[in-house]
Amino acid sequence: METIRNYLETMFANLPNTLDVIKAKNELYQMMEDKYEELIAEGKHENEAVGIIISEFGNLEEIADALGISEVLNNNIDEDARFISEEESMEYVFDASQHKLFIGVAVLMFIVSPSFPIIIPNMGGIVAFFLTIAFGVALIILSSVRMGKWDFLDNVKCVIEYATANNLYANLRNNLFSKAVMKTIGILCIILSFIPVIILDELTVKSFFGAEMAPAALFIMVGIGVFLIIASTAKEGAYHKLLSLNDSNKVAGNYNAVKSTQHDYGNEIFNKIMPVYWKTVTCLYLIWSFLTFHWYKTWIIWPLAWLIHRVISTSYTDKRR
Amino acid sequence: MRDNMIEISSDVIRGYNDTMILYILMDEPSYGYEIAKRIRALTEEKYIIKETTLYSAFTRMEKNGYVVSYSQNADNGKKRTYYKITDAGKAYYQDKCAEWQLTKEVVEHFIRGDE
Repeated sequence: METIRNYLETMFANLPNTLDVIKAKNELYQMMEDKYEELIAEGKHENEAVGIIISEFGNLEEIADALGISEVLNNNIDEDARFISEEESMEYVFDASQHKLFIGVAVLMFIVSPSFPIIIPNMGGIVAFFLTIAFGVALIILSSVRMGKWDFLDNVKCVIEYATANNLYANLRNNLFSKAVMKTIGILCIILSFIPVIILDELTVKSFFGAEMAPAALFIMVGIGVFLIIASTAKEGAYHKLLSLNDSNKVAGNYNAVKSTQHDYGNEIFNKIMPVYWKTVTCLYLIWSFLTFHWYKTWIIWPLAWLIHRVISTSYTDKRR
Repeated sequence: MRDNMIEISSDVIRGYNDTMILYILMDEPSYGYEIAKRIRALTEEKYIIKETTLYSAFTRMEKNGYVVSYSQNADNGKKRTYYKITDAGKAYYQDKCAEWQLTKEVVEHFIRGDE
């Protein structure tokens, strides 16, 4: 039955997302489903049943007039979108998450680099500082060049198949837990980064650690924290990117998997702001806290941010639907 | 044997899909697959109506007021769209029957058997 669903969704993928079209698709699906069940009950093999149903489906030109889509069908060839296959989408997810990880490592290098001159007080420290930064820059350049082959995703109109969308969405859901864990550890690393400083300060009195170790440890903790936060979203970005390829005015943009990743606030500005809302709030919290060290005050950001988020989402969400 | 080799030209049959569907709906309201199945059985599998043909006939006839559709839960609890013939549909069916008689009569004059 999955094959039939895919077949039908592919046939309809480029059609406009109108009520008539959706109704036709559902109705045809209903007929095909009935037929499938009967053929299976007659003892036909699944593949045979699917073959019969597809051969007896007919063609979309026949219902074009009923749907007011004759024009679309004729013009379809011109605006044929680039089709992204399942294998390609997996390859993209792999490449994109690797790219994000490389960027994470580069950022880690940048943050950690000042600790070298602190630990190694002579010229060696300065050299290590520049080497680390150079390594980070090289990593970003190399990785960006490698990602260049996916530039077409932004420049050409692309579509993904129904089955691919479902698959990506399932992966996205499976990834949520590990993402949350990594992000939490990352944030904890940053918030708790001053702890090694305190401990090492105590230790230096009676150990061979130099007093320099303490600030260096702070850089390393923050670096690891930032790396974990970047790495946690490595895959998710790729999933969202692929799932948002389908045009929301076409049937393909209406797949449940695609839809459930789109939050429509019915307002251009909010649609752009809301995906980065919590990240921004976290940044503000950390900046304010570290600049002032008034941790007993800064927590107020969270309930406030939550309140604002509620107000925006209840008053703007899904107004268009 | 030879009959099986010949396929019905969709151009010819197109004008009579409505007649077949309305004939079946004269008995009782029905839904897509059931109608397709009955057409297949009544013609002894000589004519298999395509899903898209069926759907376009439904929408066209509904627009013209020959049938009305409503959704109803089937025995297995699945929601289906049922079609019911209207009085206008019954009149249209009679017209089509008369038209076919005439068509058959006319064309018949020009049909020779194997010679």
